[in-house]
Amino acid sequence: MNKNQGSIRFTDASVVYPNGTVGMKDLNLEIRPGEFVVIVGSSGAGKSTLLRAINGLNRMTSGTVEVDGTKVPQKDGRELRVLRKRVGMIFQDFRLVKRLTVMSNVLIGRLAHVPGWRAMFNLWPAHDREVAMKALERVGITEKAWVKAAQLSGGQQQRVGIARALAQEPAIILADEPVASLDPVTTHQIMKDLVRINRELGITTLVNLHFLDLAKQYGQRIIGLRFGELVYDGSAANVTDEDFRDIYGRDFTEDDVLDEDAVGG
Amino acid sequence: MNVAPPRPARNWPLLLGTLGFLVGMTWWSGHGIGFSLTELLCNLPGGQRLLQESWPPDFAFLPRLYAPFMETIYIAIIGTVVGGILAIPIAVLAARNLTLGPIVWFADRNFMNILRTLPDLFWAMMFATAVGFGPVAGALALSVFTIAVISKLWSESLEAIDMGMPEAVRAAGGTWLQMIQFGAIPQGLQHYVSYALYAFELNVRASMVLGLVGAGGIGMILETQRANFEYERVTMIILAVLVAVLVIEQISESIRKRLA
Ligand SMILES: Nc1ncnc2c1ncn2[C@@H]1O[C@H](COP(=O)(O)OP(=O)(O)OP(=O)(O)O)[C@@H](O)[C@H]1O
Ligand SMILES: [Mg+2]
Repeated sequence: MNKNQGSIRFTDASVVYPNGTVGMKDLNLEIRPGEFVVIVGSSGAGKSTLLRAINGLNRMTSGTVEVDGTKVPQKDGRELRVLRKRVGMIFQDFRLVKRLTVMSNVLIGRLAHVPGWRAMFNLWPAHDREVAMKALERVGITEKAWVKAAQLSGGQQQRVGIARALAQEPAIILADEPVASLDPVTTHQIMKDLVRINRELGITTLVNLHFLDLAKQYGQRIIGLRFGELVYDGSAANVTDEDFRDIYGRDFTEDDVLDEDAVGG
Repeated sequence: MNVAPPRPARNWPLLLGTLGFLVGMTWWSGHGIGFSLTELLCNLPGGQRLLQESWPPDFAFLPRLYAPFMETIYIAIIGTVVGGILAIPIAVLAARNLTLGPIVWFADRNFMNILRTLPDLFWAMMFATAVGFGPVAGALALSVFTIAVISKLWSESLEAIDMGMPEAVRAAGGTWLQMIQFGAIPQGLQHYVSYALYAFELNVRASMVLGLVGAGGIGMILETQRANFEYERVTMIILAVLVAVLVIEQISESIRKRLA
């Protein structure tokens, strides 16, 4: 594997939204290829802002983000599409076309890889269909390939979301609260899938989470944000309750953990 | 315990005021166009004679309606298909959340407004001067009419779609066109089909009206028979059209239900 694949670097990066809200403040951060990073912070801390800066869904007001040494373009166009091709994204609300088959949804991950007219007329090359099928295999739902997305459970839909990202053959995966709409059992399955894929394929993975115990359990490296600022950056193994208190600016409660037994320790 | 709040009292002044306003408006409008009840009553014998002459319908005339009727339907189909296809880009560019930019949006909106402001009869006249009176001019006029109907309705439903899916297509490196095709249109498809069917129903009716001014089809037959005082045939035509329109509406209704 290419050593320079999937590295991310923020340099003095800031995002101020048009209404004046600060989404990111002077962020300096480096993420190495293949890392599994969990980003935590209370609601509005800037977790989504950080992820969405990496694939250019949000624009920086100052500073830069680089992916593998190339600055993320700050305007729409070919260059930005070329970058996005290598960055898969997974969403809290899955974002599938419900009326289409699972396969059609996964093929959306191939849009940037094939000539426009092929996608337009649904004339996908065999190779791309194969990549899509492999992606489904990777998340264990090949048997659902020809089922309509609407007929899947939440966990299965999120697997399709993951497969769509994998179909991009990405260097980076950005997951914005991927388990926030799922029940506890499914949550653990999806988190395990993400970790396994990270290990198997070496794809740099950034996951926004708001459950502290999940962050500690699955994160390799934890990044804490507060009011758009980096307030914690360290290994998940060493993170303490004290650190979490700093990140959240308050004592945490059972709302902050998935498994309630973890509170009060 | 939960007790439902008491039902609020009717707002009688508002209700009576509205009613009074409507009655007043109607009287005023009728006065404006010279409508008078006494005149209508004096003319009743004439109307009675017309009704007598129009009954019974001339069933022997029915077979001769087939060809012109089909022509009417063809005109409506061509208008719906051509207009329905052209309405797609026009509606997309008129949807604030999907358009390519403020200038394109503004131009497209105004274009739509012009199409909608001018009546289908006007377009029929325009096209008649270009290609001559007949079915082709009718079909072209209905294409414009269809664009106006579908683009207005559909651009509004497109503005209400969830932008999550279009964003996901963008995030995967998709182009603007791909965002529209894979992210937006699937969400608007049901509405589109429903509006296209609605436009077809309108087009069948409009196609008959255009026939009256020479665009061919059933409207033209209707006009010739009326001019020849063949009122029993006129009744027959009206009956046939009534049945046909009901059948078409029934079919389109069932297609729409199946989509839902
Ligand atoms: N498009 C926008 N326009 C204006 N303000 C925004 C926009 N998007 C986010 N913000 C604001 O920026 C700040 C950071 O938002 P962000 O969505 O990154 O937080 P988050 O950590 O992802 O929160 P959550 O856990 O609720 O998803 C918040 O105060 C939010 O209200
Ligand atoms: Mg968020």
